[in-house]
Amino acid sequence: MSGIDWRRAGRPAAFVLSTIVLAVLAAVVPYYLTAYSLYILTEVVIFALACLGLTVVIGWSGQVALAQAGFFGVGAYGAAFLSAHGFPWFGAVAVTALAAAFIGVLIGVPTTRLRGFYFAIATLAFGELMTQIFSSWKSFTGGALGLPVDLLRFGSLNPTVSLWYVSAAILAVSLAILWHVSRTRWGRCLRAVRDLEIATGSLGLSATKYKVEAFAVSAILGSVAGSLYGQALTFITPSSFTSTLVIEFLIVVLVGGVDKLFGAIVGAAFLVVVQEELQSVGAYQRLVFGIALVLMVRFLPGGLVPLLYSTVRRLTGRRRKVEAGPLETDPNPVVDVAV
Amino acid sequence: MVQVIVGGLQVGSTYALMALALVLVLKATDVPNFAMAEMGLLPAFVVWVLVDNQVNYALAIIAGLAAGVVLGVVVERFFIRPILRSSHFAIVFMTIGLFFVLNSIVALKWDSTPRTIHAPASATWKIGGTVISQQAVVAVVVGFVIMIALTLFFRSRAGVQMRAVAEDRVTPRLLGVRLPWVFRITWALAGAIATVAVVLAAQASVLNDQTGQTLILTGFVAATLGGFASILGAFIGGLLLGVVENLAGAYISTSAASAVSLLVVVLVLMIRPEGIFGQARVREV
Repeated sequence: MSGIDWRRAGRPAAFVLSTIVLAVLAAVVPYYLTAYSLYILTEVVIFALACLGLTVVIGWSGQVALAQAGFFGVGAYGAAFLSAHGFPWFGAVAVTALAAAFIGVLIGVPTTRLRGFYFAIATLAFGELMTQIFSSWKSFTGGALGLPVDLLRFGSLNPTVSLWYVSAAILAVSLAILWHVSRTRWGRCLRAVRDLEIATGSLGLSATKYKVEAFAVSAILGSVAGSLYGQALTFITPSSFTSTLVIEFLIVVLVGGVDKLFGAIVGAAFLVVVQEELQSVGAYQRLVFGIALVLMVRFLPGGLVPLLYSTVRRLTGRRRKVEAGPLETDPNPVVDVAV
Repeated sequence: MVQVIVGGLQVGSTYALMALALVLVLKATDVPNFAMAEMGLLPAFVVWVLVDNQVNYALAIIAGLAAGVVLGVVVERFFIRPILRSSHFAIVFMTIGLFFVLNSIVALKWDSTPRTIHAPASATWKIGGTVISQQAVVAVVVGFVIMIALTLFFRSRAGVQMRAVAEDRVTPRLLGVRLPWVFRITWALAGAIATVAVVLAAQASVLNDQTGQTLILTGFVAATLGGFASILGAFIGGLLLGVVENLAGAYISTSAASAVSLLVVVLVLMIRPEGIFGQARVREV
């Protein structure tokens, strides 16, 4: 027997097979779960989507952007407002996402030239400003009284099931696009900007351009996730989009793994489950999140996903790829050498 | 108008102190410490418990400061030092984690009932049409004294070592600077200053598990205004922020207060990315 390297041929086949299995699972899940469990699962998907945006901007381009709760809110309010004024829902989501991307560029152009910590503070300020606008611009958002959302329905399906299908589909498509993008020139340049910003300038790559684009992409993902979140909430108030949400997003990204696409899903599952289990006492929630963060940083700086990968690899006997993420120490620090 | 400014200076002084603690930690260990306010919150509750049990106010304050110092040393030794070699990003997350842990300990032990620390100096003076409370004077004076003390400290031997370590961790060690010792001193000092900040903030309004959250945001904003490396800058930034917030609250609307201060930060960062008192840094590959 000769000719075929089964291990290599197995990869695309395994990929196609697992995609089909996941798609079938997603399709039948509503018939086996209670409405409550399905809602929880949808929440996981929505948070994962928002945090995919952070994977791009924090994990790939290395900028700690803290405005995601603002874009989340823009998505929720924009889609609810437009669909209440006659737009079809998908059109409303698309228009809102474009608006969010525009806001992202508007904020990104002045802020991305700020270094590290100043960038974090500036984006945090912008995010907080957006939240302030949600509570004061009453004709658009209804202020503190809130804004009801027209619920999405497909045919005879109830809103919970419809939302699950839409969210799962959007997450799957976004994952596929980002997975592809991470292997293109754009994705590689982004990581080059993260690791050696000044050097990329001498190669003719505009660091600012890549950073602003990454910020805009994260704004789009945050906005779309926000539109879905509005559907899940059914009634939006400004208090849903405060800086607490920013920290929750950060927990998702960190627990999962900052620069790993699947990290967002693992982290979102952790966040939503802890929130639901410890719903009654907010302080216990914070205690668990805090301990989780401390333990993650101390013992698993790459997040849970690399741990899963290495376990799978140990089981299947595949060689481990060594790759330094933004959280790990660079074995050959280029920057520290120049004293 | 003058009344509003006086109120602003009182609040601003607590922002300024928080900013000083943040700048101190940042100068020595190069860590933006998101847990700074909570590191002052726990000792502030120690003060409250003692004062509430009729312990002498001065003794309570000393006990609170001691608690702040101990907490600072413990946090540095067991949570920050083991990960100092990893990236900034990891350390920032560590401090956010500590923020949650400390905050939830306070919330679980003392729930969120607002409490007051009864200070001995609570009289008011009337000058012209303006009512000035002793509390406000104490807050501003304490802030000013600590700022001067810190400035002097940075010129002392330990202070110079601290600044050298912030610039470069290798060379000072070769010259005989004991890094662990420098880090311990810094965090201990920062813990004590944070305690003062939270106690003063609690005396200006109330003490509960949320006192720290507003203070950490405004502290960072004030430090950013000051350029994050300058003691004087952080102090003035804090006072300025308090006054601007109070003016916006009085003349626009109370909900505008925080929005205006955020706008101020964004504007300052846009015009002078290094902050008002900061110096532009030359970057190297």
